[in-house]
Amino acid sequence: MPLEGPARIVSELTSRGYNADREAVTLIATADDPAGVLERAIDAAPENALVLRTEDVRTVLDAQTDTQPAATEPTSARQDPPVSTGTSPDASPQGEGSTPVETGGSPAPRTPLDPSRQSIDVANDMTGQSTGTGEYEDFVAVFRDRLERLGGKLRGRVNHRPATAIQAMPGGGEVGMVGLVNDIRSTASGHWLIELEDATGTFPWLVMKDRDYADLVDELLCDEVLAMEGTLSDDAGIAFVDSMYFPDVPRTHQPSTADRHVQAALISDVHVGSQEFMHDAWNRFTDWLHTEDAQHVEYLLIAGDMVEGVGIYPNQDEELDIIDIYDQYERFSEYLKQVPGDLEIVMIPGNHDAVRLAEPQPGFDENLREIMTAHDAQIVSNPAMVTVEGVSVLMYHGVSLDEVIAELPAEKASYDDPHKAMYHLLKKRHVAPQFGGHTRLAPEEKDHLIIDEVPDIFHTGHVHKLGFGKYHNVLAINSGCWQAQTDFQKSVNIDPDSGYAPIVDLDTLEVTVQKFA
Amino acid sequence: MRAEDERYFETLESQLEEAMDVAETAKQRGDDPKPEVEIPVAKDMADRVENILGIDGVAERVRELEGQMSREEAALALAEDFADGSVGDYETKAGKVEGAVRTAVALLTEGVVAAPIEGIDKVEILTNDDGTEFVNVYYAGPIRSAGGTAQALSVLVADYTRALVGLETYEARQEEIERYAEEVGLYDKETGLQYSPKDEETKFIAKHLPIMLDGEATGDEEVSGFRDLERVDTNSARGGMCLVMAEGIALKAPKIQRYTSQLDEIDWPWLQDLIDGTYYDDEASAGEGEDGDGGDGDGEGEGDEEANANDSSPDSGADDRPPGPPRVEPATKFLRDLIAGRPVFSHPCAEGGFRLRYGRARNHGFATAGVHPASMHILDDFLATGTQIKTERPGKAAGVIPVDSIEGPTVRLANGDVRQIDDVEEALEVRNGIEKILDAGEYLVNYGEFVENNHALAPAAYAVEWWVQDLEAAGTDVQALEDDPRIDLEDPPAEQVLEWALEYDAPLHPKYTYQWHDLSVVAFDGLAEAVSDGTVEDGGAGGETLVLEHTDAVREALETIVIEHRQRPDRIEVDDWDPFVRSLGLTADLERTWSIEDLSERARAWGVHEDGDNAIEAVNEVAPVAVRERAPTRIGTRMGRPEKSERRDLSPPVHTLFPIGEAGGAQRNVADAGKYAETMSDTPGVVELEIGRKRCEACGEETFKNRCPECNERTVPDYECPSCESRVDPDEAGRVECDRCEIEATCVEYTEVDVHEVYRDALEAVGERENAFEILKGVKGLTSTTKVPEPMEKGILRAKHDVSTFKDGTVRYDMTDLPVTAVRASELDVTVGQLEALGYEEDVHGEPLTHADQLVELKVQDIVLSDGAAEHMMQTADFIDDLLEQYYGLEAFYEIDDRQELVGELVFGMAPHTSAATVGRVIGFTSAAVGYAHPFFHAAKRRNCDGDEDCVMLLMDGLLNFSISFLPDKRGGRMDAPLVMSSRIDPSEIDDEAHNMDVVSRYPREFYEATLEQADPGDVEDIVEIAEDTLGTDHEYTGFGHTHDTTDIAMGPDLSAYKTLGSMMDKMDAQLELARKLEAVDETDVAERVIEYHFLPDLIGNLRAFSRQETRCLDCGEKFRRMPLTEVCRECGGRVNLTVHKGSVNKYMQTAIDVAEEYGCRDYTKQRLEVLEKSLESVFENDKNKQSGIADFM
Repeated sequence: MPLEGPARIVSELTSRGYNADREAVTLIATADDPAGVLERAIDAAPENALVLRTEDVRTVLDAQTDTQPAATEPTSARQDPPVSTGTSPDASPQGEGSTPVETGGSPAPRTPLDPSRQSIDVANDMTGQSTGTGEYEDFVAVFRDRLERLGGKLRGRVNHRPATAIQAMPGGGEVGMVGLVNDIRSTASGHWLIELEDATGTFPWLVMKDRDYADLVDELLCDEVLAMEGTLSDDAGIAFVDSMYFPDVPRTHQPSTADRHVQAALISDVHVGSQEFMHDAWNRFTDWLHTEDAQHVEYLLIAGDMVEGVGIYPNQDEELDIIDIYDQYERFSEYLKQVPGDLEIVMIPGNHDAVRLAEPQPGFDENLREIMTAHDAQIVSNPAMVTVEGVSVLMYHGVSLDEVIAELPAEKASYDDPHKAMYHLLKKRHVAPQFGGHTRLAPEEKDHLIIDEVPDIFHTGHVHKLGFGKYHNVLAINSGCWQAQTDFQKSVNIDPDSGYAPIVDLDTLEVTVQKFA
Repeated sequence: MRAEDERYFETLESQLEEAMDVAETAKQRGDDPKPEVEIPVAKDMADRVENILGIDGVAERVRELEGQMSREEAALALAEDFADGSVGDYETKAGKVEGAVRTAVALLTEGVVAAPIEGIDKVEILTNDDGTEFVNVYYAGPIRSAGGTAQALSVLVADYTRALVGLETYEARQEEIERYAEEVGLYDKETGLQYSPKDEETKFIAKHLPIMLDGEATGDEEVSGFRDLERVDTNSARGGMCLVMAEGIALKAPKIQRYTSQLDEIDWPWLQDLIDGTYYDDEASAGEGEDGDGGDGDGEGEGDEEANANDSSPDSGADDRPPGPPRVEPATKFLRDLIAGRPVFSHPCAEGGFRLRYGRARNHGFATAGVHPASMHILDDFLATGTQIKTERPGKAAGVIPVDSIEGPTVRLANGDVRQIDDVEEALEVRNGIEKILDAGEYLVNYGEFVENNHALAPAAYAVEWWVQDLEAAGTDVQALEDDPRIDLEDPPAEQVLEWALEYDAPLHPKYTYQWHDLSVVAFDGLAEAVSDGTVEDGGAGGETLVLEHTDAVREALETIVIEHRQRPDRIEVDDWDPFVRSLGLTADLERTWSIEDLSERARAWGVHEDGDNAIEAVNEVAPVAVRERAPTRIGTRMGRPEKSERRDLSPPVHTLFPIGEAGGAQRNVADAGKYAETMSDTPGVVELEIGRKRCEACGEETFKNRCPECNERTVPDYECPSCESRVDPDEAGRVECDRCEIEATCVEYTEVDVHEVYRDALEAVGERENAFEILKGVKGLTSTTKVPEPMEKGILRAKHDVSTFKDGTVRYDMTDLPVTAVRASELDVTVGQLEALGYEEDVHGEPLTHADQLVELKVQDIVLSDGAAEHMMQTADFIDDLLEQYYGLEAFYEIDDRQELVGELVFGMAPHTSAATVGRVIGFTSAAVGYAHPFFHAAKRRNCDGDEDCVMLLMDGLLNFSISFLPDKRGGRMDAPLVMSSRIDPSEIDDEAHNMDVVSRYPREFYEATLEQADPGDVEDIVEIAEDTLGTDHEYTGFGHTHDTTDIAMGPDLSAYKTLGSMMDKMDAQLELARKLEAVDETDVAERVIEYHFLPDLIGNLRAFSRQETRCLDCGEKFRRMPLTEVCRECGGRVNLTVHKGSVNKYMQTAIDVAEEYGCRDYTKQRLEVLEKSLESVFENDKNKQSGIADFM
C-alpha cells in the first residue's frame, strides 16, 4: 500500500497503534522515502510510545543524511520508479514501493524478521541490585562467597580439610585443601610456595620445581580458587603438592545450540566520540546488516565501551571528537539506529562508559538509557549471562584480560591471542580473579564475577584484538573494535583489530568474521 | 687569598679543633660504637673524589686540572686520561668508560654525594643490529642525588670516552625507543619526576642518544607494552635511567650543549632541536590537526614551552605584522600540577602580573626572586620570606625574598581609590578594602639567574637605575643631582621630572611612566579626548587635581596604564597629572594638539597580539618627551612549597636509637617496654630483640654493649657463620665471610634483653629521675648492618631537653635556604660589638663599623638562624652540656643562657642526598622562617635557594653523637649523613650554580638595552661581573656587590597564609578569592586546574585505591593484601579494617562540584565530576536503600 500523503500515513500509523504529531506526519510525507522513514521512525520511537514525535522522525532523517554516502544503504539502494525523478518530494504524492523488501537490488535487502521466534533471557543482571556500601564486611562477604561457590565445585575432587585442621594434623600424612590463592612465592632453591586460604586460615603448599604441576604455577593468579592434594611434611608445617585442581569447565561440556539457523553479531569497543572512531566501517557494517547476506543475523551483542568517555586518561579532551559525554551517547544512539530495527540488541558497559569502573559494573543509569531508547536495546550489567535462543553467552567487557596477559607468560596469554587469555578465565571460572592489581572490585553481597554456570559462548572485548577459539567446547570470542589505533596504543605497541564483526551461527557455534574496514 | 680571609678560616678551624679535642676525649670515655669522632675533616675536593671512587691517581690529576679549566672540562679531560690508560688501571673498554663516568659524576658533585658509587651500577658493551659495539650505562636510583647536570654530563662523558676508545654509537631499536617513552611515563606516574617529558620528547632523545641508558628496576609497576625486550632486562621502570633521561638530558639540554660544541670527537646536533622543541617535525606521527584547536586561552601547546626558554627571536611567528615591541613568549609550564590552596599570582605574561625588574638585592642569589613586602601582604599573605614560587622564567622555581627598594602593588580600593602601595604599614591598613589588584608590583631578578638558566634576557622594566644612566648619557651631571640635598632622584616631584626630560632630552622618569603599552591606540585616543575635556581644580595642600568625567572607558584606561587616581561616583580625580597629560600629547592647559590621523601608520599598527594594541609608539609621537615601556615583561608565578623552619623529627619522634620492639606500644615508650610482659609468666621488661652481638676480647663476655659490663673494656662485633656457626673475624677490607661455607657471617641475633634494667641503669648513670622528662621514645628495631644500639643515657638526656634524634644519632633543625651577602647588626638582633668579635671590622663601603644599621659583607661560612632554630639550638646545647657532664664526665661546653651566646658557635650545615657536612658559624638571628647564609655556603652543601631546605646541627652534637654504625643498611642509607666534613669553603669546589651570581653594584645602561634586544646572557658577560670572574683571585671571598638594598631581610608576613590557614578548604577558598581579586589571574582557569590537577587525580586515585586496597589489623598492625577470609586478623585475632575508606575517597567530591559550578568550569570538567560522583554513589550506596530526600515524604 503506497503512502500517498498525510492521510495515508496517519492511517498506516493508526493501524500500527500510533498517533502522531502533525509535524511528524508532514516530515514523513515530505521525505524521499516515506515508507522507509515511517518504518524507521517507528523503530526509533521509544518503547511503549503511543505518539510518534517529531523528534523521532527527525532523528531518523538525520541519521539518513549521516549515512547517505554509503552506497549500500537500503533506502537509497531500492529502486522506486515513482520518485526517481522527484527532486521536490511534495510533488510526488503518488506513492512508493509498498514495503522495503518488495523490489530486489544489489545487494538485496533482508526480509523482516519474525519477532516471535526471537528469545533473549538475561540471567544475572545486577543493575539496580548493587547493595554494597563499601564496608570491610562487604569485601569479606565477596571473597567468602567466592570460596563457597567455586570451592563447591572442587570439594568433591579432593578430601579437603580446613586450614586450621591441617595445621593441627601430625606430619607425613596425605591431605587436601580447597582455598583462595593468597600468595605465590618462589623459594631460594627454585621451588614454589603457594599459600592457600580458607575461612579458617592459611596453609603453605610447596610445588617442587621438577614436578608436573610446576608448569601450572606461572598461570596462577592470586585469589583464584584452587584445590590441592599432597603430603604433609614431617613437622606438618608445609604440604608437598601432588595434584592441583582448577574449578574448570568439564571436558565433557556439551554446549546448547539454537533450534534454527540464526546468527548473532558479537562486537564491542565502539568508542563513539573518539577521533579514531571508524564511522565509515561502522556504516558499512550497519549497511551490511540491512542486506540479504545478513538475513540470519538477528542478534547484536555489544561487550562494552559504547563511547570513548571523558576523563579516562589525562588530557583525553585533546583526542576527543565529541567532548560532551551525553553527546557521545546521543551519537552512539544514532549509530545504533542504523542497525535494522528487528535485530535484538544486548549491551553491557565497559571501562570507557559512564558507569563505575569497579566491577561488577551495573548497566547504564536512567539518564543514559533515556538517551539510548531509540533502538530498544537491552542494557545489562558487566558481566552478564545472556541466553539467546537457548545459547548462553557470558558477556564481560574484559578489563581483567590485561592482567592475565601481564601476569602469565607470553606463550600462555598474549594480546595476539586474546581468546587464550579468556581460556584461563574459564578455567578459573571467574572473570577477574586477582584482587589488588589492575582490576577494580566493588564489594557486593555476593561475587558477581564468578562463572557459575558454564556458558556456551564467552564474549569479551577491551583489548581491541580479534580472537576466537574453543576451550572445552566453550566458544571464546574477543571481538575487535571500531576505533583505529590511538597514540596511546601506538606507544604501548598495540595494533588493534578494527572494524571486524565476528558472526556466530547459534545453531552450530561456528564463527565467520566480516570485515568492514 | 687575602690575609683577613685566611685569618677568618683559621679562627674557624681553631675553634673546630678545640671542639674536636673535647669530643675526642669524651668519645674515649663513653660507650659509643667507636671510641673516636666519626666525622673526618676533608682537605679538599680532590681528596673527597679519590676517596669516594677508590681510583688511585685521580686526586692528583684533579688538582692538576683544576687550575686550568672548569670541572666539566676536567671531567672530559679525565675521560681522555681514562681512555688512554694514564689514569685508572682498566683492561677493558667498558672499564675505561665506567671509570670515566664515575669520575665525572664524582667530580661534578664535588665528591659530596654517593651518586658516583651507588648511582652507577656498571657499564657494559653490547652489540648493535649491524654487529658494531656500543656502550650501555646502568644507572641506579641514587643517581638522583647527582642532580640533573651531573646526570646529563655523565652521558656526555660516556659518549666521549666511547668515541675515544673506538666504539660505535647505539642504534636504538624502534621497540626500545617506544619502551623508553612508556617507561619514563610510568616512572613519572609512580614516583614522580621534577620534569615530565612528553612521549615525543623521550622518543626523540632515545632515538638520538649515542649510548644506551639502562638500569636496575626500582619499582613494582611494570610496563604493559614493549615487554621482554632482548636488550632490556626488566619489565619494571628503571628509575635511575628515567631520571637521567628526563631530569638529565631533557631538562639540561642547554647545559650539555655548551660542552658538545667544544668537542670535536662527538656531535650531538639534535640537542638544538630538543632545546627548541622542534623535534615534532621529526615525528611523522605528530598531528598538525591537534595544533589547530589550541586556541582555548591557556595555550597548553606542547613544544612552545620548551622552545621559548631560549627564544631569542621575538619576531618569529609575527611575520605578517609590522614589527611590534620586543616580548617574550608566554610559557605555561609553571602552572602544571596546580594544587588546591597554592594560589596563582599571575598567569603567563599577563597584564597586571609581576613586572620584571633587573637587579640583585643583598639577599638575592641563585634561584631567588625579590618581591616587595607590601605585595606579600596584598597577596593575602600567601608569600612570606622563603616561600617557594614556581615561575614562568628564567628558572622553574625561586625562593621569595623581601625587597622594599622596588615598587609595590597597585590596588583599587572599595572606596574607588587606586593606589600604589609601597609601604608595609599601608598595605596592612588597606588590605581589607581591596577590590582589585591591578598590578602585582615589581619582581626583582638578578642577571646571574638568566646566565644560570641560559635564558635569553627578557626586556627590562624601566626603572630608576636605568633612567639615571639615560640621564647621564644625555649629558647631565648626575653626580651633582645626587649630591643636591633638595633632589630625590628616586622620587622626584612631577614638575622636576618634566623639566629634566625636556631640558636634558632623557626619557621620562619611571615614576611617571605609565603602562601605556597595555593600552590600545584607540583607547589612548579616547583617553586623550576625555582628558582634554577634563578640568583642573585646586586640590588644596596637594596641589592641583585633574578632574575627569567618570566613564567606563576612562576608568578602564586609567586602570590599564596603572596610574594612581580616585574614582568617585560622578568623576575621576588624578593628582600629579602633568607628566600624564603631556604623555597624552596635551598641553598643560589640557589642549589637544593631535588627532588619531596624525599618528604614523607604524604607531597605529604597533602591537603585540594584534595591530594597535600597544600605544607606546603613539605616546612617543605625541608627547614632547621620550617615554619608555614601563613593564614590557610580566612574569607568571604561582605558589610552590611554603617556607620551612622546623625541627626534624622522625615519625614518630625518637629520643634514643635503642630498640624495644612492640613492647613500647605505638608510642615506643621505653618506660612501658620496661614493664611489658606478654604473658603472666614472662619477666616484665625482658623483650626479645634483634640486636648485634658483641664480645669482650679481654674477658670473653658476650653483650650488645660497646663496653664490657664486666671489665669495662671495649667490645668487638661477634660475627658467626649462619650455616656452620663458627666464629668469623673481619678481614682487612672489613668483609666478614665464612671461609668454609662462603657465605657472609652476621653478628645479628634475636636476644632477650632486659629493657627495664638497661633503662634503670641508664637513669642512674646520668643521675636523672624519671620525672625529668615526659616520655622517652625508643625505636621498634634497628636498621643498620650490625644493629648496634645507642647508649640509652643519651636518649634520657635528649628527652629531658625535648630534642629528638635523626637516624644517625644527630639532632637536626630544617630551614629553607636563602642567600644573603651583606647584613646589618640591627636586623640580626646582635650588637656591633658581637660582629666585631667575629672579625667584622668595616662596612661594605670600607667605613669602620660603629652603628648597628651599617651594612657589612657576610663572611662565607657565617649563617643566620631563624628564631625557631636558635631556640632549638639552645635546647640542643643544654643537652650537649648535660651529656658532657653527666655522661662523659667532662665540663660543659656551651653553657648558654641567652641566645646571644649562640653567636659565634659552630654548626654543621647538611643537605639531604649528600654525605658531607659543611662547618658554619652562627652570626645572628632572623624572624623569617628561613636559614639565611652566604650563597657559597648553600652551594657548598649543593643547594640552591629555589625553596630547597636543609638542616643545621650543633657542631658538638655531630661530633659526639653521630655514628656510621647507626645508618640503615640499604641503598641510599648513607645519604643525608655527615660521612665527612668540609671545614673551609673553597669557592672553586662548590656547586657552580653559585658562580653565576652577579656581584656588581650597578648594571650598565648597555645591559638594559641588551635586554630589549633579548640578547643571550653570554653577550653581556663582559659588562656584568659574576662570581665566576673572581674565582681563584684574592677577591673570591669578598666584594659581593648588590644593586638593591632592603631595609630588613625579614619583612612581609612571618609565615605564609598557606601555613596559617587551617583546612584545605580554607586554603582553597583563599586561593580562589585571591584569583578573583588579581587582574593578572583568570580564576576560571585556576579552578579548572585545581580540579584537573588536584581534585580529579585525588578522587580517581582514591577510588582506584579503594577498589584494590590492602587491609590492616587495628590491633597488631599486620597488613593483608586482600581481606582475610577469617574476617579477623590471622595473626592476633584482632579487628581488621580497610585502609581506604569511603570518607577518604569522596572528601573532595562536593567541593570539586561546587567549585566547578561557581567558577564556570568547562562542561567537560563538570561531566567528569558527574561521572565520578555517580561512580561513588554506585560503589558506596545501596541501590535498595537509597538515602531519601524530603521529597519522598511529601
